[in-house]
Amino acid sequence: MQGNNQQQAYDRGITIFSPDGRLYQVEYAREAVERGSASVGVRTPDGVVLAADRQTRSSLIEEESIEKIHSIDTHVGVATAGHVADARQLVDFARQQAQVEQLRYEEPIGVETLTKRVTDHIQQYTQTGGARPFGVSLIVGGVENGRPRLFEADPSGTPYEWKAIAVGRGQQDIQGHLEEEYDEDSDLAGGIDLALEALAVEADDLDAGSVHVSTVDVESEQFETLSTEQISDHLAELDIGGESDE
Amino acid sequence: MSNSFDGMHPYEPEIGSFEDVEAGTDEDVTAKTGTTTVGVSTEDGVVIGTDRRASLGGRFVSNKNVQKVEQIHPTAALTLVGSVGGAQSFIRTLRAESNLYEQRRGKPLSIHGLATLAGNFARGGPFFAINPILGGVDDEGSHVYSIDPAGGVMEDDYTVTGSGMQLAHGTLEGNYDPSLSIEEAEGLVASAVYAASERDTGSGNGLVVATITEDGVEIEEYDDATELISA
Repeated sequence: MQGNNQQQAYDRGITIFSPDGRLYQVEYAREAVERGSASVGVRTPDGVVLAADRQTRSSLIEEESIEKIHSIDTHVGVATAGHVADARQLVDFARQQAQVEQLRYEEPIGVETLTKRVTDHIQQYTQTGGARPFGVSLIVGGVENGRPRLFEADPSGTPYEWKAIAVGRGQQDIQGHLEEEYDEDSDLAGGIDLALEALAVEADDLDAGSVHVSTVDVESEQFETLSTEQISDHLAELDIGGESDE
Repeated sequence: MSNSFDGMHPYEPEIGSFEDVEAGTDEDVTAKTGTTTVGVSTEDGVVIGTDRRASLGGRFVSNKNVQKVEQIHPTAALTLVGSVGGAQSFIRTLRAESNLYEQRRGKPLSIHGLATLAGNFARGGPFFAINPILGGVDDEGSHVYSIDPAGGVMEDDYTVTGSGMQLAHGTLEGNYDPSLSIEEAEGLVASAVYAASERDTGSGNGLVVATITEDGVEIEEYDDATELISA
C-alpha cells in the first residue's frame, strides 16, 4: 500500500523524479503522441516533405478543418502528432519566434534555431510546478541558407535532427519503413512518394482527401501545400490507398 | 500564455536591460567624442578610420588618446561617436549579444543582422546622442552602415559621422572607388580624418585605423594621420 502511494506521487508531480530517474508525466505525454494520427517528414537534397494522415472519426467532418501541418513562416513548416490543441499553442509560439527574428535581425529564422526555441519552451513545462507537459511531438522542416533541415521536438523538450522521421500512431512501423526505403539522393517527388508510402504502412484506407502534404524546396524556399489532385496523382502512381471521393 | 515563459523581446538585449535614463542627461557636462569617423567598403574588406580626441563641447580637449573604434564581432567593428558613456555602453551591449548569438548557433551573426540589432538598440535604449559607423565583412561581402541616434540604419559604400563629417566627406567625394585595395582605402581614410583634424575643433590628436577582412579585425594607432597618407 505504501509503495503504491509513492508510485502515485511520482505520477502526479511532474517536477518529481521517480526513484529510477524517470519523469512519468513526460512519458505519459509521449503516449498521448502515440495516440494521435501519424505525421512524417522526409529530407531530400531538393527540399523537405511534411505529410500527415488526417484521419476522421466521421464522414461528416470537414477534413480541411483538421489541422496537422502548419506554415510557420514562408520558409518553414511544422507537422504534428498528438493533442491538436497543445500543438496549436506551440505552432503559435513558433510563429511569434519567427517574427521576433525578423524584428530583431531582419533575417528569416533558421530551422535549427526555431526548433531549439520551441524545445526550450517545451522543456520549461517539464520543470515548472502546476504545469503539464505538451502532449504533442512536432516535425519542423524548412530551408536554411539553401540547405534543407528536418528536426523533431518531443514532449521532453529534446531537439533531434533527422533525415526522415515519423511521429504518432504506428511510429515504429512507419519509421521502420522509412529506414528501409530512405534514399539520400532522392528528388523532392521521390521524397513525397516515400512519405505517402510510409503513411500507408499504418493507414490502409489512405486517400487523397485525408492526406495533407506540404513541401519547402531549396530553390523557392517557399512552404507549399499540395492540392488534392497532386496527391491523387502521387497515390495513383504508387498504386496505394482507397478511391478518392472526387 | 504563449509569451509567459520565454518570449524574447525583439528590441532589447537578452543580457541585462536598458537603464531608465531620461533623454538629455548626456548633454552638456559629459565627455563627447566630437569626432570624425570614416568607413569605406572595398571588395577586399572594410577600412574604418577615426581621430583620437575627446572634448567637452568641442572647446576643451579632455582626452588626447581615445580609441574610437572597437571590435564587436569576429569580422565587424563599431565607432564611438557622441556621448562617450552612451557609446561605450552601446558597444558592450552589442558585443555581448553578438557573442551570445555565435555561441548558441555556431556561426556569427550576419552584418545586416548586427546592423538591425544596433538600430533597434539605438531606437529603444538609453544611449541617445550616439551616431556610430558599423563596418563588417560576411558571406555577402563588405558592408558599411551608419546608425543614427533615432535608430536609423543606412548602408552605403562609404560614410562619415561626427563633428568633422563635412570636411571628411569633401575628401572622400570623387576619390572613392569600390575597387580600391585595402592599402589605398587606408590612405583615403587617413586623408579624410587628417582634413577634419586640421579644421574641426572636435577632431584631432592622431589616427586609429581598423581594417576588417574575412580573416578578422586589425586595429592600428598612429600619432599623426599623415603617416598613412601616401605622397
